[in-house]
Amino acid sequence: MEILQVIFSGLLTGMVYALLGLGIVMIFKASEAFNFAVGEFLVIGAFLFFILFFDLKLPFIVALLGGLGLSGLFAAAVERLTIQPLLGRNPISMTIITLGLASFLRAIVQLVFGAHSYSFSLDLPDLTLEIGDMIFLSEQVWASLLSGCTFGLVMLFLFRTRWGVAIRATSESQAKAMAYGINARLILVVVWSLSAACIAIAGIAISNFGSLTYLTAMVGFRAIPVVLVGGMDSIGGALAGGLIVGLCEAFVGAYIEPMGLIGFKNVAPYILLLLVLLVRPYGLFGTVRIERV
Amino acid sequence: MRKRGLQLVAVVGVLLAISLPAASKEIKVLSQFPMSGPVGTLPEFGMGYIDGMNWINSEGGGVNGKKITFFLEDMRYDPTVEVANFNKYCAEHSRDEFLMATGYITGALKPLIEKVNVEEKIPWLDGSYSTEIFGIEGGPAKYPYYYSLGATYGDQIKVLLKWIKENHKKPGKPKVAFVVSPTAWGRDGLPEGLEYAKEKGLEVVAQIEYPYTATDATNECMALRKAKAEYVIYHGYSGATSHTAIFFKTAKKILKDVQLMGTHYTTGRFPILVCQEAYDGYVGVASRPFCDAIPREKTPMTNPMVKMAHEFAKKYRPEDYKEGGKIKDMFLYMEGLTYALIIQEALTRADKAGQLTREGVKKALDEMVWDFKGLFEGKKFDYRFHTIPMVQIFKAEVKMQKVGDKEVPTGAVKPISDWINVNEIKW
Repeated sequence: MEILQVIFSGLLTGMVYALLGLGIVMIFKASEAFNFAVGEFLVIGAFLFFILFFDLKLPFIVALLGGLGLSGLFAAAVERLTIQPLLGRNPISMTIITLGLASFLRAIVQLVFGAHSYSFSLDLPDLTLEIGDMIFLSEQVWASLLSGCTFGLVMLFLFRTRWGVAIRATSESQAKAMAYGINARLILVVVWSLSAACIAIAGIAISNFGSLTYLTAMVGFRAIPVVLVGGMDSIGGALAGGLIVGLCEAFVGAYIEPMGLIGFKNVAPYILLLLVLLVRPYGLFGTVRIERV
Repeated sequence: MRKRGLQLVAVVGVLLAISLPAASKEIKVLSQFPMSGPVGTLPEFGMGYIDGMNWINSEGGGVNGKKITFFLEDMRYDPTVEVANFNKYCAEHSRDEFLMATGYITGALKPLIEKVNVEEKIPWLDGSYSTEIFGIEGGPAKYPYYYSLGATYGDQIKVLLKWIKENHKKPGKPKVAFVVSPTAWGRDGLPEGLEYAKEKGLEVVAQIEYPYTATDATNECMALRKAKAEYVIYHGYSGATSHTAIFFKTAKKILKDVQLMGTHYTTGRFPILVCQEAYDGYVGVASRPFCDAIPREKTPMTNPMVKMAHEFAKKYRPEDYKEGGKIKDMFLYMEGLTYALIIQEALTRADKAGQLTREGVKKALDEMVWDFKGLFEGKKFDYRFHTIPMVQIFKAEVKMQKVGDKEVPTGAVKPISDWINVNEIKW
């Protein structure tokens, strides 16, 4: 029974991580840049929702869509100001820009919202599952459902719409996409907005475990093993990576930490990441690149 | 005539030159509080301290009429910052003038042991309740210049265990579990607690470390459930932080019949704001009167120090004092104020004894028997063991209520015991 609890808890949390991973992978595929400001995007998205839902008292759906929309707009502005000027240059420059962006945004969040915690409880229908000794809290179930649905919708958007085709074409080759008349600059804005919306959903789901603070951004670091284990350029890899990292944390928390290795849960995904990279340097589902030097 | 005049001017000049430094000798103190950083934005510490010091220097009588030059630093909950600030002030100010310092974190006490107790020999008051530093193993014999403003964590935990023993109604031994923080003070007091539990016939069924970086507490709560814990002592955490809210909210769902308990820094108003209803029924021990109800006007003003703090805040910072203003927890404001008041008391006693020096202040503190302006409702404490050995047990009563168009937590932590002097208690 206990092992089932651990497995399902891991999968539920892993779904949220998968969504975070998806946010990173989309940007990487479109621009080959790794967005290190993922944690800050997560906090900003959650705070935007917080203002609409808790302060302005908008209905949940309106606040959720509004929060995601504002997160998307915010990401579009960030992309326009920091990433677009670097288009055509080495993607490393963009990655480095996101590092600076993370520090800048963290300071802005502290300036605007302070450093204290905000209680965060969504009054959603209780989906707590209690089967024998097993218990899955409503917040976990909702987080997983929200993340899973968002993941599915994004997949539909990418694989069943014209915009999705354009995004995938741009991800394959910006130059070729532009030759076919696709506005690659606009596509990049859309990708950043979509990514920010996904990350915001993850932020809202995680904050609903108890509270929201600028330190919630630390969750962003979980995205690193997720995408590197799954493969930087694989959407399916983000899903697999998220679930693997979720399971890894749950197993370590349940079986290894009680042996005295306290805090190992936070380190374990990175050890797993190293092991995966030793065997498959491009991640489990990443494209193997052969480059001539 | 002219020559004599010049001689007179020269003599006066020399006399002035000699007397000036003595006349301008200042009384300098440094205080450091965690006003920002991982525990949150807590400017209240500084507000209470500044208001207290300004009052002391104007209406409060100063140090027998002399003003205190006070310095205030935000140590950002970072021991390195606290140590660096102290070193800076030591380098910049003479020993004759810089007479006292205060800090707020166990993590900084350890690296400063040599500097404070051997090199500088400066009386240092601290918000740390470290058993290692202030308990039997440490104390005045080992760290003669360190003073704590509360009872040690070991004593706080023992008071909680004693309460469990006396209030346990179910058959069988009470099953107790500890959830501790992975910090310098996370396990502090635990060995004393475990020994006391054994002595009192309490069964300790789990000891769990819960990290600051936690985003969910399901594993920890499931482990506590599996261990069949009846009382969970959550120790070594700030009540204002995100992970505390996550733990309490999760525990309320998974550990339905378990009594959640905690030490000083998890007791108070901030956890009500952050944990909301999940904090209802919490029993905690604290070394200050945590009287700051939500809404604030319901706060009982029976404690003279609480009354003084609220009056000060209302008078000097009316906008910040209002509900929703910058003073979110009056305990923090009162804490800043109490630091200012004990500094004044120690300096005044030293000055009266004609020893306004670091050694004189230390002597004044060592011999101090004081009611702390009514902080413990008339009870006096003595500082011979370098701790203020007073604690009280509180219980949280929290309810969600509609205020305007918002659902907000209301309630307070209310005392369920008298003030207990841990040096006099029959364990």
